[in-house]
Amino acid sequence: MFEATELSFTYPSGRRGLLNVSLSGNPGDRVVVMGPNGSGKSTLLRLVSTELRSWAGSLTLFGKESGASLPVQRKRIGIVQDTPVHVEDLTGLENALLFAELYGVGRAVAARAIETLFASLGLDEALHVLTKEYSYGMNKKLLIAEALVHDPEILILDEPALGLDPPSRAALLRILEERSGTGVCTLVATNEPSLAQELATTVVLLDEGEVVAQGSPSELLAKVGGATRIEVHVTGSATSAALAELPEDLVSIRRLPGRIVAESKTGPDALPRLVQAVLAEGFTIERIELREPDLTDVFTLFTGRTLGSKKT
Amino acid sequence: MTVVVWRTEWLTALRRRRLFLLNTLIPLAFVATIAFSPAPAVHSAAVFTVLFTLFGTFGSSIPLIRDGESGLLRRYILTGVHPAVLLFQHIFATAAIDLIQLTPSIFVLAIARGSSAAQLAMVAPAMVLGMIAANTLGTITAAVAKSVAEGALFSAVAALVLLHLSGAFRTPAPGTWQAVLEAWSPFRPLHESLLAATGAGGPDLETALLTLPIAATLAVLLLVAASGRHAAGLGGR
Repeated sequence: MFEATELSFTYPSGRRGLLNVSLSGNPGDRVVVMGPNGSGKSTLLRLVSTELRSWAGSLTLFGKESGASLPVQRKRIGIVQDTPVHVEDLTGLENALLFAELYGVGRAVAARAIETLFASLGLDEALHVLTKEYSYGMNKKLLIAEALVHDPEILILDEPALGLDPPSRAALLRILEERSGTGVCTLVATNEPSLAQELATTVVLLDEGEVVAQGSPSELLAKVGGATRIEVHVTGSATSAALAELPEDLVSIRRLPGRIVAESKTGPDALPRLVQAVLAEGFTIERIELREPDLTDVFTLFTGRTLGSKKT
Repeated sequence: MTVVVWRTEWLTALRRRRLFLLNTLIPLAFVATIAFSPAPAVHSAAVFTVLFTLFGTFGSSIPLIRDGESGLLRRYILTGVHPAVLLFQHIFATAAIDLIQLTPSIFVLAIARGSSAAQLAMVAPAMVLGMIAANTLGTITAAVAKSVAEGALFSAVAALVLLHLSGAFRTPAPGTWQAVLEAWSPFRPLHESLLAATGAGGPDLETALLTLPIAATLAVLLLVAASGRHAAGLGGR
């Protein structure tokens, strides 16, 4: 469906957008791109959606070079941009019909599809409401409906769950999985590890325009060893070196300002021994956090930074 | 291809009732003030020509720039629809809306200056051509402008220069290069017909006066179509 090989893009200002990115999406694939702000996620999506049209490397859509038959390629793609934009003086239905007709879907067919989509997304009561009265989340759902109304073969979504309430988020995941089952290839950019883990067949981690890791969520999580992360938030200072001898079931212990971070092979079972050791060192424990590893830990493993931090 | 953009322009114009009313009443008040005054026809016609042309140019340019800035135009283009289709529907819809909003002004002008039916019959096609040309000009200025302020500036300057080249601000000089340009300008029939309707007489108004300006307008529309996404202001983005 789409294939990028050694794809690079530089903005007119000289800022690097992407550098030698290779990835592909086949029918039914759900490719999720993660990375910090400015890492190139949206640039990649804008290239695959044909919005940006000058690049180095190779980019094919539906087996042909991107842009080779632009109107046809565009009609086979559905796009959910990060910022929802609509004609404010039209209702939700009228906006959705506008985009359906621009995509070439007949009015009657589109009207039926829109009603179904609005119902699935919990937007049916806002069908005849002007979009200037819509909330951000409602606008986002309308954008999703508009991107799906022409049954695209490639679906591109930039932060699709941003602003959605939990039922709408669940509905979105359900719809994307259903579409995937019919052969739709989905390309998503997000910073939500849970969304990526729930949705992705392939995760691509981007940093400063380059791919730092790529694989299925389970493959990537295996790289961090599946260890439970225990964060003990402390006050005071160490008076002994009780933590110097690593308890057997802990993979690592790191002393950070105000906290001690440990990784456990045995999940919460290691907690009592760790607490004992921390107290023995002379610290006062304020609170303890346990977290299963997620894709942000994979990103940290490959870049040495958290997903939200900048390179120094 | 359906006329979905044309329909959207109409729907939004009719829903913004206050703006629609203001767009009708403000030119009307301006035209009435001058038409009922003893202002000479030659000056009145020039002012009306400027007013109607700027009305069309701004009305086309500013909404397009706003749609470009908000990302709406980009969304339209990414549906695979050819930019020329979008722009033509926009130009013809906004020109038609302008004509409806300016019709009361024309009637007030005719009443105030006692225009004949024949003169009004000439104003009608000249207004249609003038509004299509003004809205096309607005589309072109929107494509090169990077903000609403720039769009307003480019629209005003471009329209005034074209009006000058159409002979709206000077006496005719037959046989000169300016006269050749005037013959092709879509704003010349507008000026000439308004000149006649406000009581200055002027050259005989024949339908032949429209032929070259129609050809020039069609040529510019074809250029807009050929410019593709550049004409929609998305060339470098």
